[in-house]
Amino acid sequence: MTDAILFWFLALVTVCAGLSVILMSNPIYSALSLAMTMVGVSALFVTLGAYFIAGVQLIVYAGAVMVLFVMVLMLFDLKHEIQAFTRGKITGAIKIASVGILAGLVVGAITLGTKAIEAAKATEAVAGKTYDNNTMSLAQNLFLQNVFGFEALGVLLLVIAVGTVALSRSRGGTHARD
Amino acid sequence: MPETNILTTIGLEHYLVLSAVLFSMGMAGVLLRRNLIVLLMSIELMLNAVNISFVAFSKFNNNIEGQIMVFFVMTIAAAEAAVGLALAVSIFKRFKEVNIRFFEHLKG
Amino acid sequence: MSHQALIAILLLSPFVGFLLNGLRYRSQNYVLAGSIATGAVFVSFICSVMLMMDLIAAPADQRRLTANFFEWIAVGGFKVNAGFVVDQISSIMILIITGVGSLIHLFSIGYMHHDKGVTKYFAYLNLFVFNMLILVLGDSLLTMFVGWEGVGLCSYLLIGFWFSDAAKAAAGMKAFITNRVGDAAFIIGMFILFFSFGTLNMYELNALAPTTVEASWLGAATLGTLMLFIGATGKSAQVPLYVWLPDAMAGPTPVSALIHAATMVTAGVYMIVRLNPMFVAAPNTMMIVAIVGAITAVMAATIGLTQYDIKKILAYSTVSQLGYMFLAVGVGAFGAGMMHLMTHAFFKALMFLGSGSVIHAMEGEQDTRLMGGLKKYLPITHFTFLMGWLAIIGFPLFSGFFSKDEILWQSFASPRGSVFLWVAGAIGATLTAFYMTRLMALTFWGKSRVPKEVHPHESPVIMTIPLIVLAILSVVGGFIGVPHLIGEYLGHIPNYWAEWLAPVIKTLPEAAAPHTATQEWALMTTSVTLALISAFVAYRIYTSGKGTNEAIAKAFGPVYNVVNNKYFVDEAYFGGIINPLVKQSQNLWMYIDVNFIDKTTHVISDMTKGAGSLARSFQTGNMQQYAMYIGLGVVVVLTFVLMR
Repeated sequence: MTDAILFWFLALVTVCAGLSVILMSNPIYSALSLAMTMVGVSALFVTLGAYFIAGVQLIVYAGAVMVLFVMVLMLFDLKHEIQAFTRGKITGAIKIASVGILAGLVVGAITLGTKAIEAAKATEAVAGKTYDNNTMSLAQNLFLQNVFGFEALGVLLLVIAVGTVALSRSRGGTHARD
Repeated sequence: MPETNILTTIGLEHYLVLSAVLFSMGMAGVLLRRNLIVLLMSIELMLNAVNISFVAFSKFNNNIEGQIMVFFVMTIAAAEAAVGLALAVSIFKRFKEVNIRFFEHLKG
Repeated sequence: MSHQALIAILLLSPFVGFLLNGLRYRSQNYVLAGSIATGAVFVSFICSVMLMMDLIAAPADQRRLTANFFEWIAVGGFKVNAGFVVDQISSIMILIITGVGSLIHLFSIGYMHHDKGVTKYFAYLNLFVFNMLILVLGDSLLTMFVGWEGVGLCSYLLIGFWFSDAAKAAAGMKAFITNRVGDAAFIIGMFILFFSFGTLNMYELNALAPTTVEASWLGAATLGTLMLFIGATGKSAQVPLYVWLPDAMAGPTPVSALIHAATMVTAGVYMIVRLNPMFVAAPNTMMIVAIVGAITAVMAATIGLTQYDIKKILAYSTVSQLGYMFLAVGVGAFGAGMMHLMTHAFFKALMFLGSGSVIHAMEGEQDTRLMGGLKKYLPITHFTFLMGWLAIIGFPLFSGFFSKDEILWQSFASPRGSVFLWVAGAIGATLTAFYMTRLMALTFWGKSRVPKEVHPHESPVIMTIPLIVLAILSVVGGFIGVPHLIGEYLGHIPNYWAEWLAPVIKTLPEAAAPHTATQEWALMTTSVTLALISAFVAYRIYTSGKGTNEAIAKAFGPVYNVVNNKYFVDEAYFGGIINPLVKQSQNLWMYIDVNFIDKTTHVISDMTKGAGSLARSFQTGNMQQYAMYIGLGVVVVLTFVLMR
């Protein structure tokens, strides 16, 4: 009963914060709402028993990435936006409709597929390997089975760091002709 | 299988529906907002939604690989945010505004 | 050294020279370029001599050195090797090509030293020698054809060497296009022979040649050889495709000597001699060859009578002499044809180089009306030219005498000859003596008509040495093929030439009608006497120094006009073939191309453009719209999956 209350509370917080991300016309509010969403998602990870991931979520997203966003916003010194949303009523309607239909379809797919998932879970639990939901098993998996991907990510981050510096130093952005 | 109360018994589908709702919200942001930075934020929202479903699957299927994938997605998301913001910075330097309509050179 | 290696060096040496000079074609160091080119050809000459000695050392029936480098084409039953062969016929050719070739290269150093493109010139010249060697050494018709086209290309490049002059560039193109006509026939001939005999290898073809002569016009051997002969009329400048050769004199004079007198233009004769068993089996073709040769010999000689450009006279003379060679091979006197090929290479190369020396001395002037009396300014050139003159008019015991007389005798005495051919040949010889004497008289003898500002001077040693060597060859070259009749009076000199070629020459199957020595003597005396008389007349007319040209023109009236305009052959080609062709092409362009093909393509392109502009409206450049398309796509796919 406790975890149910916790889940519903966190779901409410996350969805409200997510809605304000896309509805706030001032980007600073959007950023703050996004940080709130991150925290909510992190708490949801805790309810799922993924403690390490929850911590990383807090540090990387709520910490580093959000700081990056806020810093950039501060750099731009943006005011309240007059036109936050795209123009064009027809396309806007199509977009909203498509998003709504997508959400409905996905939810429908989930409810339809739940039975299959339950069945799969039953067979998996019989044949499945033992899985201690702790940080050590995560680390073992990451550094034994997925060490190549891990190293590749390191290289990717290095490339991104260099690329970001190069992009930021260029004058005129994508329209650079001068 | 006995009838379960949808409000009190939290299962995989709850997390998945939440994930779907968050994802759709992020997608609406990407489609509708004009500010490049808010656009990037919406993408982060979508990635987070996906992360929720990964972890949920990992938990309910007893498979640690889901969390590994979350780890990778986070790294990619951070990198993507860095590049996106760098692009926003260069756009801003040029136009003193970060509007998506400046990315319209793909017009055929 | 093995003969394979020798043949390889023989072939590759000029090619290496071509590469060395061709890669540094901007250089103006004429000494270096000339040394490389001359050295390359000289190396080939040494190889040729060594190969020749190998051949002489071998027994008479084994005189064939082959070198198969690799299999070039193998498609089903069709196999061609990059095979080269030195035998009795090709050994003579390679000696002429590389020997005369190196002399002409040497001469070129002196003649071309002031030219800006001298390195390019030598590169082309070496490439020519390389291709010519492929032509004569190739053991199959296809290999020969590679060289055949290669020399055509080099000829084109060298005729149009001074391409900034539109007329000279046009002359190059004329040569190339005229040769194309012949080459098409040559290819058809190859098709026919391959279709009928299943091989293009010349030895196999010769072995497969029908043993009984073909009486029909449509036999494989007759048709095939006829087509090959049409190819030869293009390359060897025979009626009706001779028109390019006089214009080819636009090139540098040593080129005229090497390509358009000594080597390339004789390729047709060589090809016929090479395939002589096949031609022997096709008497109808041989008849055509002989008639065409005789007509060419007389016709070109008459045109030569009226020309004033020193090189044009020599060019028509070359056409005429080539006609003699075809006359010889047409009546089955293959040995005599080859002999005349060789002696002609000597004396005509000599005369072209001599004319080059004269032009050099006259600072580029080619018109004989502005020469005369050059004897005292150019003693060496004059003397060597004199030797060439004596050789070409057939003065007894000079090289041209032996070869030309043998041809005349064979054209009468051969089973496939006739008295008409002899008459044509004799007329040609008489005319030859006349116009060559006229050339001598106008250029070297009589009073000087040289303009005041030109000061003729003798050419440098590097140019006179080749002249002297060639003069010696022109004088004595005939003695290796002295006819039996004359040989008896000169201390029983054997006819080395006939003995050498005997194993590869097929004798005519028809029995020769009996001819007496008296007849031979009579005919020989007649032709020589006619030639000498006409030479004397020409000497009298043209050294007297009066306004003779106009007088002659008036005396002959319309005939002179027709001859002077080269029988209006060029005009006939233009009126009859080229202009209608251009007209028809224009019609095709106007009605078929513009109205039909263009319109069709326009309709298609308009349809494409319409479809494109429709698709274009989706490409707004708005990224969010693209994202919407993706979302819609996902929706559609998901719907499809769930509704299944």
